[in-house]
Amino acid sequence: MEKLKDALDFSDFSKAERIGLVIFSVFLFAFPWIGAGSFTTTVMIQFLLFSLFGMGWNTIGGYGGQVELGKAQYVGIGSYTVALMMVWWKVPFWVSMPIGILIAVGYSFIIGYPLFRLKGHYFAIATICTSLVLKDIFDNWNLVGAAKGIELPIHDHPDFLYMQFKSDTYYYYFIMALFYIALFYMNWFRKSKLGYQLRMIKDDEDAAESLGIDIRWCKIKAYSIASAFVAVGGGFMAVYNLYIDPASTMELSLSIKIALMAMLGGAASLWGPIIGAAFLVPLDRFLGSWLGGQKGLTGIDFMIYAALIMIVSAYQPRGIWGIIEQFRKRGH
Amino acid sequence: MKIRNAAVLSLVLFLSLLIASPAAFSAEKEIKIGVLYPLSGALATIGRDLQRAAELTADIINDKAPGVDIPMAQWGGIPSLGGAKIKLIFKDHRGEPDRGADLAKSLILDDKVVGLMGAYNSAVTKTVSAVAERYGIPMINDSSTSPDLTERGFKWFWRTTPHDNYFNRDLFELLKGLTEGKVKGVKAVPKKDLQNLAYACENTEWGSSVAKSIEGYAKEYGFTITKGLLYNANAPDLTSEAKALVAAKPAAMLFAAYLSDSLLMIRTLKGMKAQTKFFWGQDAGFEMADFAKTLGADINGVLTRTVFIDKITRVKKVAGQVNALYKKKYGDDLTGATARSVVGVQAWAYVLNKAASTDPKAIQKACNEINIPANDLVMPWAGVKFDAKGQNVLGRGLIGQYQKTADGKVSLEIVYPFDLATANFIYPFPGWK
Repeated sequence: MEKLKDALDFSDFSKAERIGLVIFSVFLFAFPWIGAGSFTTTVMIQFLLFSLFGMGWNTIGGYGGQVELGKAQYVGIGSYTVALMMVWWKVPFWVSMPIGILIAVGYSFIIGYPLFRLKGHYFAIATICTSLVLKDIFDNWNLVGAAKGIELPIHDHPDFLYMQFKSDTYYYYFIMALFYIALFYMNWFRKSKLGYQLRMIKDDEDAAESLGIDIRWCKIKAYSIASAFVAVGGGFMAVYNLYIDPASTMELSLSIKIALMAMLGGAASLWGPIIGAAFLVPLDRFLGSWLGGQKGLTGIDFMIYAALIMIVSAYQPRGIWGIIEQFRKRGH
Repeated sequence: MKIRNAAVLSLVLFLSLLIASPAAFSAEKEIKIGVLYPLSGALATIGRDLQRAAELTADIINDKAPGVDIPMAQWGGIPSLGGAKIKLIFKDHRGEPDRGADLAKSLILDDKVVGLMGAYNSAVTKTVSAVAERYGIPMINDSSTSPDLTERGFKWFWRTTPHDNYFNRDLFELLKGLTEGKVKGVKAVPKKDLQNLAYACENTEWGSSVAKSIEGYAKEYGFTITKGLLYNANAPDLTSEAKALVAAKPAAMLFAAYLSDSLLMIRTLKGMKAQTKFFWGQDAGFEMADFAKTLGADINGVLTRTVFIDKITRVKKVAGQVNALYKKKYGDDLTGATARSVVGVQAWAYVLNKAASTDPKAIQKACNEINIPANDLVMPWAGVKFDAKGQNVLGRGLIGQYQKTADGKVSLEIVYPFDLATANFIYPFPGWK
C-alpha cells in the first residue's frame, strides 16, 4: 500500500511539471478522438512503445549510470516468446507475455552476473556482444524460423485473448496502459531503496561499497528490471506487427535507439525517456514519410535527424530535460 | 539565443507537420495506388530505380505512348473507369518491416488508396500484406521473391514475379541441360564433371531460403552439395568463407549475395585463384549495373539469374520500345528489378480495367480472373495469371552470362531458357589467371 502511494505521488515535482503531466495525460486519453489520422496514430504508438523501452533502460542506464547497449536482445526474447507460443501452441497473449518477461529476467541474471564484473566501456562493449551473439543464434536457428522470422496468424475479429484488432485505437490504449504502469513504477522506483543505492553507485562506487551496498547485486537487479520492461514492449511488437525477425527485433541499431532516446531526453530523470521519445520518434517518422519519397532529396531526412541530435547533445549533455531545466533556472 | 530560435523553429516545423499530415485530396477521376519501396537506407539505389520504372509505366498508361505496341499505351487512363488516371503514391519503408506496416495503414486509411504495390524486401512485404489482408485491400506484389509469401492463404495478395523456387529450378535445369548437350555452343558434359556443388549465401531471410531451396533441388536432380555456408552480408572480410569454398573443390560455386558482399567474395576468390567450372549468382548483387561496372572483365563467364536482360529487346518488340522510353528518360537500361515494377503497375492497370470499379471486392474478383497475354508484357513470360494462392503461374526466369566483348567490356547474354539464348555458353568458367 505504501508502495502504491509512492508510485502515485508526484508531489515532490514542481507545480509546472505536475500541470504538464496532467495536460499530457488529457492529451493522451483524448488523442484517438481528435481525428489526427492513422499515420499519426501509428507514430503515437511508436512513441509510447519507445517511452516504455526508454524508461526501462533508465533504471540501469540512467539511475545506475551503466552504459547499456544491448537492450534489443530482450526485445527479441519478449517478442519471440509471444510469437512462438502463439504459433506453436496457440497460447493467448496474456499467458505468453508474462512468460516472456520471466524468460527475459532469467536470461538477464545469467548475462548480468558475469557482465557486471566489468565496468565502463568494457561493460558497454560486452552488452553489445551478448546481444549480437543472440541475434546470430536466432538468425541461424531453424526451429525459430531463422532469418526468415515468424509470422503470426491473422485472426478475423477483435480478439482480446490474442490481442488482435483491426483498428489501431485498441493497440493505442493498450500500449498507453502499459506506459502508465511503467510511469508509476518508475515514480516509485526512483524513491525506492534500490533507486537511491543506484544513484550512489553512479556517483561513487567505492563510497557506496564502503557503506555496505552490494554493488553487483544492485546492478543485476536494476538490469533485470530494465529487461522486464523491454520484454513487455517486445511482446507488444509481436502482436502489433504480426511479423518478427531477428533483424527487426535484435539489431544493434534498436539497442542504440533505445539508449539514445533516454540519453537525449535526459538520463536519470523520470521525464527524460518520455521527452526523448516524444522528440525522436515523430522526428524520424514524419521526416521519413514526408521527405523519404521526395525525389532529389535522398537521405535529407537522415541528415536533419542527425543534425538535431548533434545540436541538442552539443548544447546540453544532459539532454532535452537539461535544456528545459536550464531555462527554468534562468527564469527564476 | 540562436539555439533557442532554432528550437522554436523546429517545434513550429513539427506542429505544421502534424497538422499537414496526409490530407486526402480527392481530385476527380484519379485512382490512387500506394507504392512502398526502400527509397532511402542501404537499398536506396535500387528503390529509386523501381520508383522510376513504376512512374514511367503510369505515364505510359495515363498519357498514352504512341510508339509502344501494348494496348494500355493507347488508353490514356483506365477505359472502363471513364479514363481515370492512375496516381501512384510512393512511401519509403527503408527496409524496416514495422515502418512498412505503419505506412501501409497510412496509405489505406489516410490516403484512401484503392490498392497497394511493393515492397521489394520480402520481410517488409510480409508486414505490409498482413495490413492489406486485415483491411481487405488488394495488394499486388511486383518484386519480392521469397516463396513463403504466397503460401499463407491470403485472400488479398497476388504476386506477378516468379519466386526463388522457380529461379533455383532454372539453375538445375541449366546444369541438367549442360549434361544433356542442350546448351548453345557446348557439347554434353559428363555428369560426374558437374557432380559436386558448393554454395555460399548471405544469412538473412532471402539468402537462407535460397540455400534451403538449393539443397532440395540438388537432391531432386541428383547432385551433391559438398559445402554449404551462410555468411553475414555486412562482414568486412570473407577470406575464411572463400577458403572453405576453394577447399571443397566444387564443380560449381553458387551464391546468393547482395552487392558489396558479392564484390568482396569475387575479389577474394580471384586473389586465391579459385578454380571451378560453373559460377552462378542468384540475382541481387550479381545482377546490378554496378556489379559489372566495378568488376569489369573479371566476371567473364559468371552467371546470374534474372527476369530481364536488355538483350531480350532483340527478341521481344514491346520490351525494346519500353526500354527505349526508359533509357531516354533516365539513361539506363531496364533491369530484372525495374522491369518487374513495369509489370506490377501494368497488372494494376489491367486489373482495374477488368474490374471496372474501385470496389475492393470487384478488384479481388478481377485479380483472380485476370489473364494478361504474353505479347503485352516486357518480360519473356507466358503472361500473367494467378493461381488460387495468388502466384503468377506464367512467369519464368532467365539466366544470363557475363561475356567479354571485343572492346574489353562485358555484356550480359541470355543462356537460359535455351530457346532464347543470345550467345554461345562459355564453359568451363575461365576463372582468373
